[in-house]
Amino acid sequence: MPLRRVIGFLALAFAALPALAFAQGTGNIRGRALDAGTGGPVTAVQINVDGTSLGAQTVDDGSYSIRNVPAGQHILVTRRVGYEPTRDTVTVQAGSTVTHDFSLRSVATNLNEVVVTALGQTAVQRSIGTAQQSVSGADIAAAQQPNFVNALQGRVAGVNVTNTSGVPGASSSIIIRGVSSISGSNQPLMVIDGLPMDNSTLGTGVLASDAPNSAVAFDNRGLDFTNRGADVNPDDIESITVLKGPEAAALYGIDAANGAIVITTKRGRAGGGLEYSNSFRIESPRGAPDIQHVYGPENDLGSQSFLYFGDKYPAGTQFYDNIDSFFETSLTQKHNISFSGATSDGKINYRLASGLTKQNGVVPTTDYDRVNLTGASQGQVTDWLNVDLSMMYSYADNDQPFKGAGGPLLGLLVWPSTDDASVYLNPSGTRRLITGLSAGSELDNPYFSVFKNQVNSKNNRLIANLALTFSPVSWANLRTILGTDGYTNQNLILRHPESRWGFGSNGIIDEADEITRNLNAQTLLNFNSYDITDKLSIQGLIGNAVTDERTTVNGLNGQDFMDPNFVSANNTRIKFNRTTLTRRRLVSLFGQAVFNYDNYLYLTLQGRNDWTSTIPRPRNSFFYPSVTSSFVFSDAFPSIGKHMTGKLRAAYAEVGRDAPPYAYRPSLINATTSYAGYRYDFWGPNLALKPEFAKSYEFGTELGFFDDRLGLDVTYYQKETDDQIVQNIRGSYGTGFVLFNMNGATTRNHGLEISLRGTPIRTQDFSWDILANFDRSRGKVISLPRDLPESYVSDTWLYGNVRDGQAPGMSTMALTGQFFQRNDKGQLLIDPTTGLPLRHSDFIDAGYDRQPNFTVGLSNTLRYKRFTFDFLLDMRKGGDIFNATEHYLTVRGLATSTLDRETPRVIDGVLKDGNENSASPTPNNISVIPAEDPNYYLNMSEEYFIEKDINWVRLRSATLSYILPQNWVRNASLYVTGTDLFIITNYTGLDPVVNGNTAAVGGAGAVGIDYGNFPIPRGIDFGIRLAF
Amino acid sequence: MPAWRSRHRGIYSRETARLTPTYEKPMKRIFLLLLAGLLLAPAGCKDFLDVNTNPNGPETVSANLYLPPMLHWLATAPPYDGRYIGRYTQQFMGPASSISLWDRMGYAAGSDAAAEQWRDVYWSFGQNLIDMMTKAQNEERWDILGVGQILKAWGWQVLTDMHGEIIIKEAFDQSRTTFDYDTQEYAYFEVDSLLHEAIANLQRNDGAVDASYLAVGDKIYNGDRGQWLKFAYGLLALNRSHFTNKSTYNADTVIMLVDQSFQSNADDALFPYPAVTSNDDKNFFGTSRDNITGYRQTEFILNLMNGTEFGGTVDPRMTRMLAPSPDGQYRGLDVNVANWSGLDSAQRPMNFFGYQGLPGAGQPSRYIFSDKSRFPIMTYAQLQFVKAEAQYLKGEKGAALATYENAIAAHIDFVNDRNSDDGQSPTPITEAEKDAFLSDPNIVPTDPNDLTLSHIMSQKYIAQWMWGFNELWMDMRRYHYTDTESGIEVFRGFALPTNLFVDNNGKPVERARPRYNSEYVWNQAGLAPIGGLETDYHTKPLWITEPGS
Repeated sequence: MPLRRVIGFLALAFAALPALAFAQGTGNIRGRALDAGTGGPVTAVQINVDGTSLGAQTVDDGSYSIRNVPAGQHILVTRRVGYEPTRDTVTVQAGSTVTHDFSLRSVATNLNEVVVTALGQTAVQRSIGTAQQSVSGADIAAAQQPNFVNALQGRVAGVNVTNTSGVPGASSSIIIRGVSSISGSNQPLMVIDGLPMDNSTLGTGVLASDAPNSAVAFDNRGLDFTNRGADVNPDDIESITVLKGPEAAALYGIDAANGAIVITTKRGRAGGGLEYSNSFRIESPRGAPDIQHVYGPENDLGSQSFLYFGDKYPAGTQFYDNIDSFFETSLTQKHNISFSGATSDGKINYRLASGLTKQNGVVPTTDYDRVNLTGASQGQVTDWLNVDLSMMYSYADNDQPFKGAGGPLLGLLVWPSTDDASVYLNPSGTRRLITGLSAGSELDNPYFSVFKNQVNSKNNRLIANLALTFSPVSWANLRTILGTDGYTNQNLILRHPESRWGFGSNGIIDEADEITRNLNAQTLLNFNSYDITDKLSIQGLIGNAVTDERTTVNGLNGQDFMDPNFVSANNTRIKFNRTTLTRRRLVSLFGQAVFNYDNYLYLTLQGRNDWTSTIPRPRNSFFYPSVTSSFVFSDAFPSIGKHMTGKLRAAYAEVGRDAPPYAYRPSLINATTSYAGYRYDFWGPNLALKPEFAKSYEFGTELGFFDDRLGLDVTYYQKETDDQIVQNIRGSYGTGFVLFNMNGATTRNHGLEISLRGTPIRTQDFSWDILANFDRSRGKVISLPRDLPESYVSDTWLYGNVRDGQAPGMSTMALTGQFFQRNDKGQLLIDPTTGLPLRHSDFIDAGYDRQPNFTVGLSNTLRYKRFTFDFLLDMRKGGDIFNATEHYLTVRGLATSTLDRETPRVIDGVLKDGNENSASPTPNNISVIPAEDPNYYLNMSEEYFIEKDINWVRLRSATLSYILPQNWVRNASLYVTGTDLFIITNYTGLDPVVNGNTAAVGGAGAVGIDYGNFPIPRGIDFGIRLAF
Repeated sequence: MPAWRSRHRGIYSRETARLTPTYEKPMKRIFLLLLAGLLLAPAGCKDFLDVNTNPNGPETVSANLYLPPMLHWLATAPPYDGRYIGRYTQQFMGPASSISLWDRMGYAAGSDAAAEQWRDVYWSFGQNLIDMMTKAQNEERWDILGVGQILKAWGWQVLTDMHGEIIIKEAFDQSRTTFDYDTQEYAYFEVDSLLHEAIANLQRNDGAVDASYLAVGDKIYNGDRGQWLKFAYGLLALNRSHFTNKSTYNADTVIMLVDQSFQSNADDALFPYPAVTSNDDKNFFGTSRDNITGYRQTEFILNLMNGTEFGGTVDPRMTRMLAPSPDGQYRGLDVNVANWSGLDSAQRPMNFFGYQGLPGAGQPSRYIFSDKSRFPIMTYAQLQFVKAEAQYLKGEKGAALATYENAIAAHIDFVNDRNSDDGQSPTPITEAEKDAFLSDPNIVPTDPNDLTLSHIMSQKYIAQWMWGFNELWMDMRRYHYTDTESGIEVFRGFALPTNLFVDNNGKPVERARPRYNSEYVWNQAGLAPIGGLETDYHTKPLWITEPGS
């Protein structure tokens, strides 16, 4: 138990404390840190006496003092994120106090900025050989997204955030540099204050409803749960650094193979005081698909499920605007309050904060409420010990509707316009049916769906990280962080006994209590910079990390309700439970050495060895290296440096990845069939499972012009993942099993990221800053295990016969489907008997790819005196979206495209008469009238509804704020923010940002599959920020 | 560790000068200790990492606990596939606006329909059966080993009868990516030898043979190995009875095997669905499962029972097995006519439950279509028909007639028993009705020389209707659907669909294609040599139904 051993040694260290703190022949240093530009004080500057553990932090007025400094000449080093570091020389005389002021140069983004890197370390931008990009906490908070993950979209090149839907609490997935794993998670590691933080989304696979062979499973289609990263209050975030590839994240190892999101939370500062902010938000729906109001249902609604192939509505028919009246204008309010401060010598600081979010959705009954309580304190206990504790508690309560096939949107769209949908109950209080179909066949009335069914999730979470930094010697320090991340997530899913989805079972209730407890310990031994020669220096670290993850889900399913309206599993006649325990442990040892030649040439070598519990021994131990370098050519060649700043970067990294727990040895499951007993699950054994490896390189440049008012950062990367572990891969049942987890896929990703920033105008009263992030990422499948023809993620097969399928040569975000049969020339093959196109019975590639050609995030900040106007445009070019909702409406005769149903047409194609591949195939000449042959619509291929090359320009957010003149409050500002105010797109559906599954699904998931999904609403926020 | 010290000595000694001695010495020691801990940490992690044994399920269980799911599927897989092959044999059809490809003897490409038994033999049985038999062998549980061999034999039997060539020799090898198919002849041979081993094991009394142990997993015979022994003989009788087109057909062997198998209806292999959970443990054809709600009886089965094909004698079982129309009349649908054969809603036959739609929970159903109906796997009546056929083919018409009459009588009792399993609505067939029917010369000829194959096979069809899907289809294929004997159709009144599925090229269906998501997607290399990739592979006759040896 390495953890226990480390703690033992720490205890020893404490025991030795009293012997340590002495000083003789000393003097004091004091002074202020001032902004070189404005002359104003700079707080929170870390000042250290080089070569000693002495130091202080500046307080509110910029002052600092360091006592008991040994007499002699010293170098004072300053560091402050956002400012250039400095090194000044002072001479201290015994018994006296020397005053030294610093003039600090504020830097927006340039080579001398201090930035956060992996493991919570900081470094100067110039030394970094990889692409990484930061977003300030202020920008995150100003985006007004309850889920901070959504605020990252457009702000970092290469980061792609996809909301599952526009419902409160919807999960969001983050993909950095494209999809490389075709079945596993592609999400980055999330790190908070130095340790990993769970950002998982509950998968429906743990629900008792989704037990193998279940007929009432959700398969991650009918439900969504919040990604747990949303538990973090955006207002607590100081900054977010995105480490984009394995090169930057190498020290985080296997969980950061897809990059890392490194969150630093706020700490107290002298003069912090009391801060309060609020936000009141009004949301309105983006709209709904157009449906036709010309043709009525067939006969009556008697025997068919809402098919609108009947006669025209008679003139004067009364129509109800069911769709618009269903949605609500919703109000959300947020309040944040914080208290912070620090002692005047900067040795102790604290911050206590609380946040409240009450979000209501535009879909009735949907809401997301969150309470955050945060405390963080840091203290320099002795000269050689610094202690930092941060604790974050959050409580989230989320009500969502069902989504997709079971959700209210489809019921809303197909509900007859001649009927008032809001009357969803009979006078007796039971569900009102309007067709002759049984309650289990008639689609749920949307009101019934949201008012009588429930999807509720309550989450209690505590993240506590304790960091101890020992600096007993001048040449090194030891930093140990111990962290717990624990949450209890209680879920209740009710399918009402009268609803379509509950009727067959006379009501279904699912309860699932997820208890997650992750422990992390990380110890770093940092060696300070050591000069080998007068120009060459080295610094380094070695470290170890121990991770222990444990999740238990207690699922309970009750069916057959006694009282149809009493919501409790106690009220059901049939009950069964399902417990899912998942454990994973990881031990790692890593090291890094940084060579610095004359502050313009840097070489960083890193290595890491992991031991994981999820791979069979001895292959569970694996080592991988990385090397990165940075060359500041503008400093190396001063003649260039006169005109510009410039740096070249190159990096190469390998990173291993393990398997999900329990992937290689099959176990038995208790059967749900007659008389129980045990049987094998779907998965066969694979004792040869080994880790997968990604080899990745990137190179790039950072350039600054015009006194850094124009900056350019360009990165090209390529990553190849070999021996990729593909989950749930199929094979002949001759193996005795249905699925295997096996190595053998290879994928290759490459891409180009460009960040352009500029300050076209900077005057006393007016300034204009621009940041543009361009990203083009490509992912391709090179091979599949065992030369299998196709691998697919089964949960994505959610509508018709289209799914996230991969085969060699295809994009990692392709769609395979039972697409049209075509001849050698690509012409559609037409059935000579019906005149309708023929479809393949196999899942084939037809060139569909959900990857955009490129995306651009463009943010502008304009300041005029006390006004600031800030907006972020999110643009995308290309990438396909499957508009399944429109297909659904078309086969039901509701889409407006079916209005020409009486017009005869000949489908462009050639007859499949044996001549289709000859030199002169027979052109189709069979005229069909859809109104007379309902198969025209009913058997219509989904292929017509995969919309190619979807572009959009979306106003993610726009904020106007005004800083009030200083008065009795220290600081006050008013703001108004609009989010998602407009979207210009060639997509015909509601919102091209969709996911037919949730963030829990691996591979590319059902991103870009739009089926019964609520769009992201428009919202306007206004509020005030005060500081006392 | 020493290497580390020497490398850093330079740094260390240089810094010493600045530090006070009291400060430096203990700290250095602690520091080195911490460092040692850091470096040694992974060495102690061997046990720490041992958390990958799945805590959610065992890796192995006692032999009898593998049995319940397999016995469940032994009873449930046939009706699962029966929804498709039952339409090839015109036991029922799905009324719709157009005639389904299944009613036209076609197949659904790109679908796993009609391949559930494939899944069950390779996966639901699969490694579970291997593990159970290995354990039984090691623990000398000869009774459970014998049951395992029966299951294995049953699997190969139904699978080869359904699909023809199947994977046997290379099956259950997880290192293979493609699998070669074995001939049907080999499958028949394999079934034969497995059943002989089963018979030997089920006769053993030594070792750990224990009826109460077997009964934990066996709710068909409650651990009675004597009953399983009869089952083994019965299955072997079915196997041998399929050889009627072969020169090796031996009627005496068939008769001998039937005589060693079931002695009365009390020996019937019936699966008692417990129906205590929401879905999976109920009769697949029960009302709750809603699997056959849309299907309706055909004109063919109706005509066998309403007198059309048997000289005007109405079968008393008709009103106990088939469903009336709302007007009280019994009708069947024409498989060649869409939209309910043009019947108006009062004339349309109700579903097998006796309703126009899905009945609510607790409402009585009919025959074997109730949640707790004991579903047949093999019956005494069925085997008696096998014996009657053998006697008939051997030329012992008198014996054949007696066996034939006994078979019908047994099935009448069976119908009464089934209709009382779960409070079904039909009234029992009275003794008087039964006697009248059995003494009716249209049904049971008075002169043995008037007995025809069509009596035996058409009545066997009735006795197997809606449960004996595998055997019934094999019967029809053995007689090539429309074979005649002295001008009389073996299956009286049967006609192939007039509009056969387009890929049939005018031929009737002879086999089902192997499971799509197992074979057509992942094992085309195995399918190609047997012609499995041809679009009309499903019309390729089976080895067993072709003349030869």
